[in-house]
Amino acid sequence: MSLLAATPQLSFTEMRDTLAMTDGNITAHVRTLHEAGYVSVTKEFKQGRQLTSYSITREGRKAFSAYIDLLEKIVEQTRKKE
Amino acid sequence: MQENWAAEHLQVIRTLMERSAVYRRALAPLMTFAGVVGTAAAAIAWQQRIDSPRPFVLYWSIVSLVALAGAFVLVRRQAIRAGEVVWSPPMRRIGQALLPGLFVGAVAGGVVWFLGGVLMLPAIWASIYGCALHAAGFFMPRGIRLFGGCFVVAGAVLILGIAAERIDWAPPNLVMGFFFGLIHLAYGIYLYFTEQRRNPL
Repeated sequence: MSLLAATPQLSFTEMRDTLAMTDGNITAHVRTLHEAGYVSVTKEFKQGRQLTSYSITREGRKAFSAYIDLLEKIVEQTRKKE
Repeated sequence: MQENWAAEHLQVIRTLMERSAVYRRALAPLMTFAGVVGTAAAAIAWQQRIDSPRPFVLYWSIVSLVALAGAFVLVRRQAIRAGEVVWSPPMRRIGQALLPGLFVGAVAGGVVWFLGGVLMLPAIWASIYGCALHAAGFFMPRGIRLFGGCFVVAGAVLILGIAAERIDWAPPNLVMGFFFGLIHLAYGIYLYFTEQRRNPL
């Protein structure tokens, strides 16, 4: 989600290489996010090869922002206590 | 405990967001190719004495187009091999960062074409190219910014040296060969040994 939030679209291999995860791991994570409606998947054929790319949906961005807000609140509250 | 976890998580998210915007293609083949083209072109130009302004500008413009086209073919091949799009968002950002520098370089070539002053042109081109690389370096591995910075400094020193008549021997084709040939070649070889798969975490 962090990767997709910063760029309009990412290919499968770009995600795999950046995260240093296995193909199976990436597929499982993306499937979960796709089923939740947070990530959209585009498959196209270019020069006889399938090209799979992912992008974050509006719902996904909303959920991601809410998660970041929550993390920031936790950090902020703790700093106030100190 | 929880605040540490939240802060660390935010840091990981920030790192990943930055990394996703960074250009990831291998630079070693591009630099080596540019270096070979530059060195060979300089040797030919030196031997053929392509020193007068118009032939010099025309010749090196063609060489730069050949180098750009070759680099694009290499990038495209890497993208196809990896099953990725060629014009990815980082690639587009790099293109946009390089474009102003390349445009000013073309204008400088145009000025020399009409007014002469070929002695100064390689140093100006090197400086402008350095500026373009430095700008593109914000979307590439950090070494590129340093590489661009070296071009800016070396080009500026050469411009000052020639203008102040402190440097009286700077054959344009050899200067071009040094900047756009040998330095690229050396950097390409260096990258072959140092460039590795990144693991951001």
